[in-house]
Amino acid sequence: MIDRVEEKVKITPKNIGTLVLKGGSFFGLISLVVAFSILSPFFLTLNNWLNILRQVAVLLIVACAQTMVIVSAGIDLSVGSTLALGGCLAAVAMSYWGWPFLLGALLGVTVSALVGFANGVIIAKGRIPDFISTLGMLGAVRGIALLITGGLPVPSHFTATTLRGYLPRVLIWLGSGDIGGVPVPAVIAGVMVIITWFILSRTAFGRSIYAVGGNREAARESGINVDGVKILVYTLSGLYAGIAGLVLVGRMNSANALMAEGLELQTIAAVVIGGTNLFGGEGGILGTLIGGLLIGVLGNGLNLLDVEPFWQRVVNGFIIIAVVVFDQWRRRKIST
Amino acid sequence: MVTRNPVLVLKDICKEFPGVKALNNVSLELYPGEVHALLGENGAGKSTLMKIISGIIEPDSGEMYLDGRKVQFKSPKEAMEAGVALVHQELSLVPSLSVGENIFLGRWPQGRWGVNWSYVYREARELMRKFDIDVDPRVPVRNLGVAEQQIVEILKAVSQPHVKILLLDEPTSALTEHEVERLFKLLSDIKAEGKAIVFISHKIDEALKISDRVTIIKDGEKVITEEKGNLTEKDVIYYMTGKMFESNVSSHNADPGRKAVLSVRGLSAGILKGVDLDVYAGEILVIFGILGSGRSTLARVLFGLQEYRGEVFVEGERVEIRSPLDAIRCGIGYLPEDRRKALVFQLSVGANITLASLREISRKGLLMFDKEKELAERFIDELRIRTSNSRKRVTHLSGGNQQKVLFARWLAKSPKILILDEPTRGIDVGAKFEIREIVKNITKEGKAVLYITSEALEALEVGDRIAIMRGGKITKILPNDRQLSKSDLLAEVGGVVKV
Ligand SMILES: Nc1ncnc2c1ncn2[C@@H]1O[C@H](COP(=O)(O)OP(=O)(O)OP(=O)(O)O)[C@@H](O)[C@H]1O
Ligand SMILES: [Mg+2]
Repeated sequence: MIDRVEEKVKITPKNIGTLVLKGGSFFGLISLVVAFSILSPFFLTLNNWLNILRQVAVLLIVACAQTMVIVSAGIDLSVGSTLALGGCLAAVAMSYWGWPFLLGALLGVTVSALVGFANGVIIAKGRIPDFISTLGMLGAVRGIALLITGGLPVPSHFTATTLRGYLPRVLIWLGSGDIGGVPVPAVIAGVMVIITWFILSRTAFGRSIYAVGGNREAARESGINVDGVKILVYTLSGLYAGIAGLVLVGRMNSANALMAEGLELQTIAAVVIGGTNLFGGEGGILGTLIGGLLIGVLGNGLNLLDVEPFWQRVVNGFIIIAVVVFDQWRRRKIST
Repeated sequence: MVTRNPVLVLKDICKEFPGVKALNNVSLELYPGEVHALLGENGAGKSTLMKIISGIIEPDSGEMYLDGRKVQFKSPKEAMEAGVALVHQELSLVPSLSVGENIFLGRWPQGRWGVNWSYVYREARELMRKFDIDVDPRVPVRNLGVAEQQIVEILKAVSQPHVKILLLDEPTSALTEHEVERLFKLLSDIKAEGKAIVFISHKIDEALKISDRVTIIKDGEKVITEEKGNLTEKDVIYYMTGKMFESNVSSHNADPGRKAVLSVRGLSAGILKGVDLDVYAGEILVIFGILGSGRSTLARVLFGLQEYRGEVFVEGERVEIRSPLDAIRCGIGYLPEDRRKALVFQLSVGANITLASLREISRKGLLMFDKEKELAERFIDELRIRTSNSRKRVTHLSGGNQQKVLFARWLAKSPKILILDEPTRGIDVGAKFEIREIVKNITKEGKAVLYITSEALEALEVGDRIAIMRGGKITKILPNDRQLSKSDLLAEVGGVVKV
């Protein structure tokens, strides 16, 4: 047997180089933090960071699910729409139909999970490419959300007066409350990150996700129920979107059918920045956490610097590309 | 020959990967008009050396001279332009492109109206004829079997103009004797044109036959370079492994019990036409046949990868096998002929070994890492898989060691019936002996093995009985007793079958 090379950590310029190489996107995140701290005096304040966490929570929750989907060599474009449908349904049930919080929440989350389940079945059993099925759902589900709400916010100004009540307190607490100073959305996101990490790295199901994404045929020939894995992964994706929907509605104190538009692309960006391979089989939740935070920090920093919104989009886009290009370069460097 | 100038000189080439010194001060001279065999165990560093010569990876240190001039290839393209062509150990064709497109990839001849496709396909067909293979050059490569793909790969390299050095990394591992003969003829022609050839193989007799000189490397270091006349097969094995192996055509169990573990009646699928077969507990049944006789189809059908008509019985009970999961539930395991289909390259060695045993290494869906590690390490040791540890990615193993990983996967699962399709492909001599022993041992536990091979000697060495497959049918089943010889087998499988 060949001995492993012992890595001794000494701080030399060369070592810092390899550290940067190994860190990848983490290094990108740190550079952004350093840059913004220099450029804006508010950036490093505790309040601002709590703010970032609150804002990034929804993205992170959904990105966790997207990580599982992408590791299984799929892609879920319908997460934003699913989130909107789940959130709207829950809000309608709680405010117009007068359902108690738990039942309304259960309805929203279940329907979201069902959307994911439908995606999984269409993809696995119908042999439809992931991209197409979820692209179709992206449109259809958003449409259903619009139909349910009539395109109006829930609860809206006039319906709120004529019909019954507002959103329940618990829901608003989910989005805007805090536990000992830590925003509740951030706590929820943290829990979801941990659960996802656990699934991916500690369970037989998680191992199957990697196998299916890495080499579907090999997974099948090893007796893994490939269709089952796919369906479960997409169902989880819907479920996570439903949970994120509740948080978002709570934070905005209202639901509307057009919320979270473009979230699918943001989550994909977070996952890819995190170093997960878009073709499946490798990656993990830690990277996604960094990717999500990076997107959050970037948005927050650009806001603090008063960059015009149109310019923000431009800068956002280019920085994401830059990070991924750097990451790819770094991997090639490591693998040879 | 010695008076001529070498076309390629390597001097003190070193290459280290994390945890492994793959090449340590390797020097080599290559002369025009010679076939140079490069031999060594799995993981000795042969492929690494080829990759360095062809510009795929850069050495850590050392020098390379081409026609006396110092060169440093920064990319495969530079090497190709300088006249180095490599046939990869792992097939690297574009599956969705046709045979013709693949052979001429990147250098499609231009006609007046863009690419001159009729020329491409005519040439491609001509080239395939050299191997007696009559494949339509317009079909996508993914529709071909492994052997045919290998031939396309070889043709792609040899048909390049201005090649000075041709590197062949295990070109014959997927070929049957007939194609090997053809290849050798082709190589002699190329050699006569004054080109230099490096030939890697684990079939030592073959390497000694085609080569002029032999270089042996062990653990990344060169052991010896010798004229082939000064070496016997035994010497080579000794230099490679540091051990002597006796070919022991040991006792075969020519009369196994009467308890059939697997029975097949009237099985038809694709090329298979009404196959009847019984495999008994405790025996190794070899399926011997040539390329295209239906051996691999039979294996695929029994593992639920291809639809069939007919009846399959496991331990006397009729079963329907519609998917690999069905097959595994019936206690069947299967090692496919193409390892790229079965390995998950992104996962570690350990995870690949335990992939079929996820249920065994988890409790209530939770992976038990200590159990996984134990299982993986047991087979890493038993099969002497050369890896720094079980967490190393399987992509970073040498070809032969990857094959062992797959083997380990099924040994770990330990099914009642194990179907092996060319299991020793790309595996070195020493390991071949060991694997044969291991297969024999598992049959002692009452398990049955269906062993597909296209090598007559291997068939004779492992089989308790040898079933001859020809044109999609089992034509004969021979007990493997002392009288059976290689030529008997070859006579039985018959001549060339057009694919
Ligand atoms: N990219 C890589 N990263 C890490 N280790 C590597 C890498 N490529 C090769 N190795 C290691 O280098 C050693 C030599 O590998 P190489 O592929 O050259 O062997 P080989 O002689 O061609 O063996 P085989 O007969 O099995 O094909 C092996 O121990 C292998 O694990
Ligand atoms: Mg090799």
